[in-house]
Amino acid sequence: MNGLLNEKQREKYLEFQEFAMAHVEPFAGQWDRAEQIPESAVAQLRDAGYLGANVPTEYGGRGWDVVTFGLLNEALGRSDSAFTGIVTVQSMISAALLKWGTEEQRKKWLIPLARGDLIGAFALTEPGAGSDIQSMATEFRRSERDGGVIVNGEKKWITCGQRADVFLVFGKLEQKPLACLVPRESVGVEIEPIRDLLGFRAAGLAQLRFRDVAVPAANLVGKAGFALSHVAPVGLHYGRISTACSALGLLRGCFEESIDYAATRKVGGQRVGDLGMIQSLIARMGTDLEAAMLLCWNACQAEDRQHEETFTKAFQAKYFTSRAAVHAASDAVQIRGASGCHESSPVARYYRGAKVMEIIEGTTQVHEMILARGFLHEAVRRQRLKRATAPQPLKPVQN
Amino acid sequence: MTTIDLKQVKEIVRGFINNSINIDTLSDDENLFESGLINSLFAIQLTTFVERRFGIEVGMDDLSIENFKSINATAAFVTRKSGNHTP
Repeated sequence: MNGLLNEKQREKYLEFQEFAMAHVEPFAGQWDRAEQIPESAVAQLRDAGYLGANVPTEYGGRGWDVVTFGLLNEALGRSDSAFTGIVTVQSMISAALLKWGTEEQRKKWLIPLARGDLIGAFALTEPGAGSDIQSMATEFRRSERDGGVIVNGEKKWITCGQRADVFLVFGKLEQKPLACLVPRESVGVEIEPIRDLLGFRAAGLAQLRFRDVAVPAANLVGKAGFALSHVAPVGLHYGRISTACSALGLLRGCFEESIDYAATRKVGGQRVGDLGMIQSLIARMGTDLEAAMLLCWNACQAEDRQHEETFTKAFQAKYFTSRAAVHAASDAVQIRGASGCHESSPVARYYRGAKVMEIIEGTTQVHEMILARGFLHEAVRRQRLKRATAPQPLKPVQN
Repeated sequence: MTTIDLKQVKEIVRGFINNSINIDTLSDDENLFESGLINSLFAIQLTTFVERRFGIEVGMDDLSIENFKSINATAAFVTRKSGNHTP
């Protein structure tokens, strides 16, 4: 991919890789087993300025382009997708606030989020509403006291929920979707850690309960009626880009672990990599890696260039890369054999983590539905174009 | 955006909407949100498109179905927002 990057992006990528190799890679297995990322590691992320990667400098961020943001997620995802999850959700809440927050909210919340002084979480999914988010049941009731709202409801599978200082919570006010910022210490907020996940174990997922939580008017984000159509999609778009690039890192991890192993491990005096069956797996993995890399770069570039198909490109990148990561992780375990089934090898963790990449920020099936509809719509466009360019029948000559 | 008029804006908006929803013919006044033709991403795609294509910023106060409900409404919003008031 180096050929697609400019000098500055190449330098940053190198920096991100060095950071990941020094501060993430050696500890990822340990964090996975502990189901927790220590504060010291979060502090390193903060000190490096990575939590404000996609936020303009005027709001305390680094103001990097989206390609650079993608490279950060890729480099971290190579070592640990759970750790990258912090960057993902931070970028989601930041993007939503940057676009739809008031200036006062940007000053109060976005600046500390970008600096990493606050960790955020995107509280959208509910026990009974995942892909079908329109059916969410969290209720906002207008508070007579200050024009704010009273929040009642539950959220589930919230990444960083255990650790977050502030939640961007989605609910309905008189049936109209609305979002609001709820500080962790608010009275009536209960946080229950979710443990024993398949993968992504250190990402601090939580179930949140809101019981008569009073939220001031100053914390309402956007207008009632537009939280699911406008506020959430901006956050989810960044979440999709981040997850796609993180899955790309995981895919690269599978590839590098596999070729290193196949090139050195011998079976019956023959290198594993000389076996045709193993070569098939490696050929697919390496080619998928290249294709995924191009799709991720394309998605980031589309956002940087403000391309009108930016959402579609992000869907394509996340869809392809997360699926390719699942295949690659499975094959990486296969190539290693028994040692790939043990936690002493990172591919076992990749295998568990890859599947989660196919679920978060929209399942593979939701992506297929959206992408397929878009592709099928192409038929309407083609027919329209055909009609417009078809030669008109000659009119009979009037005598 | 200083020289573009309502007619041009409408043409561009119509092009985007026609490319985004699955319908062969769409009248300029047809209510997109009541048509059942749009998916969950359409609203943000339309908002993002007008921002980027016409160099305007859609803020929280602009969030109203009235501003984006049809080709005509969207074009009128864009011309208003960009300071063009061509009759």
